[in-house]
Amino acid sequence: MTITTMLSTMGVGMLRSCAIFFLTLLFSLPLGMVVMLLRRSKIKPVQWIMKIYIAIMRGTPLMLQLLAWYFGPYYLFEMPIRGYRFPAIIIGFSMNYAAYFAEIYRGGMDSIPIGQHEAATVLGYSKTQTFFRIILPQVVKTILPSVTNEIITLVKDTSLAFTLAYNEMFSLAKQIAASQTSFMPFIIAGVFYFIANYAVAFGMERVEKAFDYYK
Amino acid sequence: MKRIITAVLCAAMLLMLASCGGSKADYVFLDETLGTETYAIGFRLGDEELAKTVSGAVKALVLNGKYAEIGEKYPDIKDYLSLTAENIDQSDIPEQGSGDSSYTFKHGFDLDYPPYSYLKDDGSVGGFDVELCQAVCEYLGWGYEAVPFNWDAKDMELSAGSCDCIWSGFTKEGREDMYTWGIAYSNNTQCILVAADSGITKLDDLAGKIVGVQTATSAADMLEDSAADLAATFGDLKIYETYTIAFNDLKAGAIDAIAIDVTAGTYLINGGAK
Repeated sequence: MTITTMLSTMGVGMLRSCAIFFLTLLFSLPLGMVVMLLRRSKIKPVQWIMKIYIAIMRGTPLMLQLLAWYFGPYYLFEMPIRGYRFPAIIIGFSMNYAAYFAEIYRGGMDSIPIGQHEAATVLGYSKTQTFFRIILPQVVKTILPSVTNEIITLVKDTSLAFTLAYNEMFSLAKQIAASQTSFMPFIIAGVFYFIANYAVAFGMERVEKAFDYYK
Repeated sequence: MKRIITAVLCAAMLLMLASCGGSKADYVFLDETLGTETYAIGFRLGDEELAKTVSGAVKALVLNGKYAEIGEKYPDIKDYLSLTAENIDQSDIPEQGSGDSSYTFKHGFDLDYPPYSYLKDDGSVGGFDVELCQAVCEYLGWGYEAVPFNWDAKDMELSAGSCDCIWSGFTKEGREDMYTWGIAYSNNTQCILVAADSGITKLDDLAGKIVGVQTATSAADMLEDSAADLAATFGDLKIYETYTIAFNDLKAGAIDAIAIDVTAGTYLINGGAK
């Protein structure tokens, strides 16, 4: 097998890895915000449920969660799961990452001194206005480095989708390496992850600069 | 209140995991097979001497009945064990205890390939290949060291010297030039496993169906090589990390068939490690 064939085979896998990556970000970033707001809710039971949700998502391996999301409907409710593979992967990744993002957001929220909320109230801002106009712009700025960390981890975690027989890039690399007894696919995979993560870091640095509005 | 919610959620999750073992439907192999292969012991290229000694010791175990005795413990594969006192050539058999007692033989194998090598219920390593290798070391007077590795990394493990052989249901066909081969001790047939009520009775029925296979297995190789024409008729070929997950998908009806060797398939149907 030539390197060109390897690259084209793995290229298909790269597209699949990217699909997981972008869809997970699309769903987990906003979902994390919802989880964080509920986690900070004044209603105690809501707080507890969110705490338990976060504890389970962070406390069990993502691989196990993917299995549970995919096989759960069948084993618990005897539902047919044909064709449900890809949605299950996206649900699994999004729910898991939302928990991490929620905690990052919460850290950002807590870093804003209470005085700012009080000042906003005195100035006649409503709760919603305070959140969107005063708190959120500062939170986004402080949490960006942590979010970048999490996104980079996500790039590498996409390989876990192979648990559910989704042939993303790294599983193809392993398959080619086994059949060709060659180390080359792993090097290609390494380069791919590196480039992808470098792009993420570079992009996020740009975003950080854009948010650097207090200078 | 918080405790109760936690307990309920934990129970639900446990129930979910526990129920994965249940539901027993019937599964059958198609009469038509993909082909037959032999399992042998793979050594580093050039390790002729070691291959000869270990193969000789295996022959000695065939003659003294130990080979058949271990086979009896694994009913799923005992019909496929190919060596008998009549069909082996009785040359190059080392004396019992003739090995260097300070030498430790490092047995490289996949921990996820039952019944040849796997993690037993009590947490120790076991399987036909593991027991046979242990018996070989005992016969020669060598120490035995288990080196379970990631199957994808087997070639790197072997060339780096962290193990002395690959011995774990290791197919010889198609790899003849890549290793120095020891004795072939088992046959295996690659089959198609389907649900008994699926209506699939021959290979042609697989046209348009979803078939699962474990990555880097002989069945997967065959579907790429000798059985590629058949694979082209499938609706989709799903490649799994382990057969366990593939079998769960078959049970759940998410796929229609699994391409698997008959011994591993029988093991799955019979419900796994005892």
